[in-house]
Amino acid sequence: MFLVDQLTNVLTAISHPTRRAIIGQLASGPARFSDVAKPFDTALNAVTKHLKLLERAGLIERRKQGREVYISFRAEPLRQVVGWVHHYERFWNKQLDQFEQYFTDKKRKEKR
Amino acid sequence: MQNSRNTLQFKIERTIPAPPSEVFDAWLNPAIPGNPWNAAEKFVLNAKVDGLFYWALKGASHYGRFTDIERPGRIQHTWVSPNTLGEESTVTITFTPQGEETLMTLVHSDLPDHERAKGHVNGWNYFMDVFREQFGNGSRKDYRWDEAHASAEK
Repeated sequence: MFLVDQLTNVLTAISHPTRRAIIGQLASGPARFSDVAKPFDTALNAVTKHLKLLERAGLIERRKQGREVYISFRAEPLRQVVGWVHHYERFWNKQLDQFEQYFTDKKRKEKR
Repeated sequence: MQNSRNTLQFKIERTIPAPPSEVFDAWLNPAIPGNPWNAAEKFVLNAKVDGLFYWALKGASHYGRFTDIERPGRIQHTWVSPNTLGEESTVTITFTPQGEETLMTLVHSDLPDHERAKGHVNGWNYFMDVFREQFGNGSRKDYRWDEAHASAEK
């Protein structure tokens, strides 16, 4: 059961471009805090706040390894959010993907 | 989105690389992949105003009545299924020229706001943006129509 509060936390977490960028960075593998903060032109405590929101949503995990803290991405809450989307919305998205693909393939063949 | 009658609606857009007349005709042609008739195991289609349709997939029957057909700009029909709790919802598709292409907009409205549908629609668009950016459409690969219907019928 995916609780509405948790859904709100996940949607809040992914509503900010910096937090989406952090997720994008961590999707390729765990990173140290300093590495996570490096690309951003913001104060370290601002990055810390973003990480706290991601952690509250269950989208990241911190793990201590020796003297370093590694942060890793957890995709599961995002997958659970998908389950909340109206199935007709998913249905139409899937259908329109196929429809668009049909025309894209057709156009490609015509160019040959 | 939620309105005062406690129904839900959502909007999906795609840019299709063909002129509106071609896209319009393809949407009503069961031989073309992507339209609902093409997805059906069994269907009846009478695509004219007040014409009826029926289509079924994995035991779920869908019924509707065309309320507007204006080639090449607009198609509107009702949509009734177990997943609308037997109530009439509305599907409106518009085809707008964009240079040599077509902006296709599908709005599914008047969906009953029942338990399974709550809480998700507002988050969908920007959630999908994240998925597109980060996961290369990975969420869509996981979707299976039959599974969605099985869970809907519980």
